[in-house]
Amino acid sequence: MKTFTIGGIHPPENKLTEDKAIEVMPVPAELCISLNQHLGKPAKPLVKMGAEVKKGQLIGAADGFISANVHASTSGKVKAVKPAPHPGGQYAMSIFITPDGNDEWLEGCNTAPIDWKALSKEEIISRIKDAGIVGMGGAGFPTNVKLSPPPGKNIDHIILNGAECEPFLTADHRLMLESSEEVIAGLEIISSLFDGKAKASIGIESNKPDAIDALRKLGQAKGIDVVPLKTKYPQGAEKQLINAVTGRTIEPGELPFDKGCLVQNIGTAVAIYEAVCKNKPLIERVVTVSGMEITERKNILARVGTTFNDIVSYCGNMTAQANQVISGGPMMGKAVFSFDAPVTKTTSGLLFINNKGLEKSKERTCIRCGKCVDVCPQGLGPWLLANVAQLRDFDEIQLLGLANCTECGSCTFVCPSKRELVHWIKYAKALVNNRQKRKTA
Amino acid sequence: MDSVNLKISYAPFVRSKDSVESVMYNVALALAPATAMSVYLFGMPALIVNLVCIVSCIAFEWMMDAIRKKESNCLDGSALVTGLLLALNVPSNLPVWMLVVGSFVAIAAGKHVFGGLGHNVFNPALVARVFLLISFPAAMTSWPIPFSVDMETAASPLGIIKTDGLAALGDFTLMGGLFGTMNGSLGETSTIALLLGAAWLFYKRYITITIPLTMIGSVFIFTGIFYLLDPGTYASPLFHMVTGGLMLGAFFMATDMVTSPLSVRGQIIFGLGCGLLTAIIRLWGGYPEGVSFAILIMNGFVPLLDRWDLTDRKALNQKKAETK
Amino acid sequence: MISEAFIPAVTSLGAVALTLGVIIHFVSQKFHVEEDPMVTIINGILPGVNCGACGYPSCNQFAEVLVETKDSSMSCPVGGADLATKLGDTLGIAMAEPKPQIAVLLCQGSNGVARQTAEYLGIQDCWAATQAYVGPKVCKYSCVGLGSCIAYCDFGAMKLENGLVVIDKDLCTGCEACISACPTGVLTMQPKKTERYFIACNSHDKGAAAKKACDAACIACQKCVKVCPEEAIKIDNFLAVIDQEKCNACGKCIEVCPTKINCIRLEHDLKAVKQKQAS
Repeated sequence: MKTFTIGGIHPPENKLTEDKAIEVMPVPAELCISLNQHLGKPAKPLVKMGAEVKKGQLIGAADGFISANVHASTSGKVKAVKPAPHPGGQYAMSIFITPDGNDEWLEGCNTAPIDWKALSKEEIISRIKDAGIVGMGGAGFPTNVKLSPPPGKNIDHIILNGAECEPFLTADHRLMLESSEEVIAGLEIISSLFDGKAKASIGIESNKPDAIDALRKLGQAKGIDVVPLKTKYPQGAEKQLINAVTGRTIEPGELPFDKGCLVQNIGTAVAIYEAVCKNKPLIERVVTVSGMEITERKNILARVGTTFNDIVSYCGNMTAQANQVISGGPMMGKAVFSFDAPVTKTTSGLLFINNKGLEKSKERTCIRCGKCVDVCPQGLGPWLLANVAQLRDFDEIQLLGLANCTECGSCTFVCPSKRELVHWIKYAKALVNNRQKRKTA
Repeated sequence: MDSVNLKISYAPFVRSKDSVESVMYNVALALAPATAMSVYLFGMPALIVNLVCIVSCIAFEWMMDAIRKKESNCLDGSALVTGLLLALNVPSNLPVWMLVVGSFVAIAAGKHVFGGLGHNVFNPALVARVFLLISFPAAMTSWPIPFSVDMETAASPLGIIKTDGLAALGDFTLMGGLFGTMNGSLGETSTIALLLGAAWLFYKRYITITIPLTMIGSVFIFTGIFYLLDPGTYASPLFHMVTGGLMLGAFFMATDMVTSPLSVRGQIIFGLGCGLLTAIIRLWGGYPEGVSFAILIMNGFVPLLDRWDLTDRKALNQKKAETK
Repeated sequence: MISEAFIPAVTSLGAVALTLGVIIHFVSQKFHVEEDPMVTIINGILPGVNCGACGYPSCNQFAEVLVETKDSSMSCPVGGADLATKLGDTLGIAMAEPKPQIAVLLCQGSNGVARQTAEYLGIQDCWAATQAYVGPKVCKYSCVGLGSCIAYCDFGAMKLENGLVVIDKDLCTGCEACISACPTGVLTMQPKKTERYFIACNSHDKGAAAKKACDAACIACQKCVKVCPEEAIKIDNFLAVIDQEKCNACGKCIEVCPTKINCIRLEHDLKAVKQKQAS
């Protein structure tokens, strides 16, 4: 079975919700729609306090080339436009909407499916752009930008990312089972943008055999290759997935299109299908609510803007032992600092855990066991990067390949001395950026 | 919902179960067969040696942490492993005070002068052993004969060859060497018990095959060449496999995480160096046994071997930055 | 017996020492570097802490450049006016009057004054904390309170107190090393004055949001702007700023400030006050 070549770990999978069908979560009493749900500049608010909005109405406009539109996820009245907690850990400008209960679509949105083959490439791209679609795996890169590689870059392999290598998360898994046709249609639409010449594959880890079967059945007729992958973290990282499926290596400093590859998330593919065929903007997504410290674990279809408060009360309640709530997966997610933070386009999961190592977490000295070097999928020396970061030698650390670190967390996971390797690397990156900013200023 | 209950830390939020303690206690567990074998072969004195070394190493660790005003981790298992290794490296009739001095040298001069666990350049147990060997050569080279009741002593097989030549070896058999019924330090006599422990470390993936393979392999090939040239003067490579501290050194001391190189090519050079130096000292050196010296000498090269890897990596990144 | 072992050892080692000594002597003559004696003198006058505040990596470098160029505009912020006259006398040039400055923390959001967010248990460093989330305080412009800057201070002028960094006005030499060490940019340099009024807040949040986050936040109410007779205060992006050149330290602004804990601060430079009283 295929997998990536360098490093990798196998944390406990804990896919507790893989058999739970996606539940549609009802409209909460208030929605908090962040204008910063993507990589790049936040969207510009288009509505003011008191304005009436319809479901699917554009309320935040993309500001610049790398930015994305934001839409109202139900009909109602704008209560306020003010900063609110963001699952990424910061405060971000957000639009608060009080739903009117009608959940009424804006005219022309969510129509009966049309045949996308009748649309030109430009029309497809513009529909994707208008719908505000971003990479739903976590980074949130605007999809229309990713689907328009610079001229001269020949894309010959399109890969859908069904690896879902993070423990606990099952959102993509359920989507592959319950919306198999939409996934395939989304991939076909992406293929058509490259004249159907590129090879289309779906990479799925072997711990999801039902998803492999379902997509294989549908994909066979359309020439789509479903590639089972050996379960190993971080298979879902772009560079590692490309390496696993195609055998190509993305060198440091290169982007996937330099090697003729394009990777899209499963959720993104479904969103693309809905945007192109139904003219439905990206206003909801599947969120895995899991972890040991929540009473009802579920996969829910939540509207963008649903606060974590509402999700907690919808999924039973937290146990008393819960001390951390994580937005995203346990390997690369962020600890949530407020329950007022909302679901965004990139929130793949909400995990309630009891992190026992937290209270007594003390970094010990490195015993040079070399495990971090063995597991690093980028071939770096994490222990050394952390040491140099602690010494604040930021010239040296750049030479050691700081920029190549993808922050997958494998090194911190295996470290017997419980060193915060990734955090030190992140710290060094912040200070290196700061220094460069000061130099140019 | 009260946000105050939320605690913030950085990803990842799940960690493996490995810890410094689990690594160290597993190494100690891997040394258990050899320790048990030593007690079986040499009786009560061996048990005393083991206990004295372990207790005094842990005590000195605690003391050094206190002197350096650091939070003490004396029970994290690293002092235990040092104590066990030291005990396995000395003859069972060594006076208790020498053991205590050895333990002090191991912990203080071998480890804490460099900054404690993780910072030491040389293997602490070997530093102590070599210190004892040079300071008290007579006591360190008169080994009790296994199962002897009245602590009768004799030279080790390697010692016999060194002083009296191959012919004087007498009734030495390879099977005896494998099982351990020969004269020697506590832990180095029984090859089988050591291999058993090493197998556990391989199973737990705490050590890799690179260093033991290159070290033992180079001793085998080097001594083999001379055995083929002149079987009358030089012992067979198989004899070198089962005698002395080769197995103990190759599996438990050369592979010490702190004092071995991180990169595979570094490990290969390190293992080859250890093996060749061992063989050279055994064949022509002043001492009958060379494993300790060989490993200590190669320990000194580890920072250099790691730096070699480092400069290569940096050069590579620089080249990439330039081509970009 | 003793001399048999003793004599060869002493003679051989003595011979080695002698030969090496002779070699070293010739090498040092051959490679002798001519150094301007003035550089050594200047170097002796300089504080010798190599803090880098002058823009040169070391005091020695500063001395070399100064002796070579005799540039009167060069100054050592650490030494201040006294040093400038001394340097000028030694070199026989009139050194420009240095403008002494000190580091100022534009935040009063100590524990209890600023609203807290979730507890932080990661690496105890401001930069690390702000990578994990907004920080221990709601206000993103505030002093994070984990003291990353303290390690950068060569003069021991900074310490952590009640969730805020406190700067010792007498020890701070104005070397600016701490400025770049702060992730929120809440540390700034201000001219050293006998009496100095400044807005001890860095929040560019709108009034309501700023008030919600901290009791000592500037809410950009304009009251101080209106009352200032010198027109030294203006609001820049929801934050009042006092122009230190115009301010004559009348103190009217403090009286009208409506924040719960006055966000306008008055600081005395005790040394300067004493000097003033003496003269």
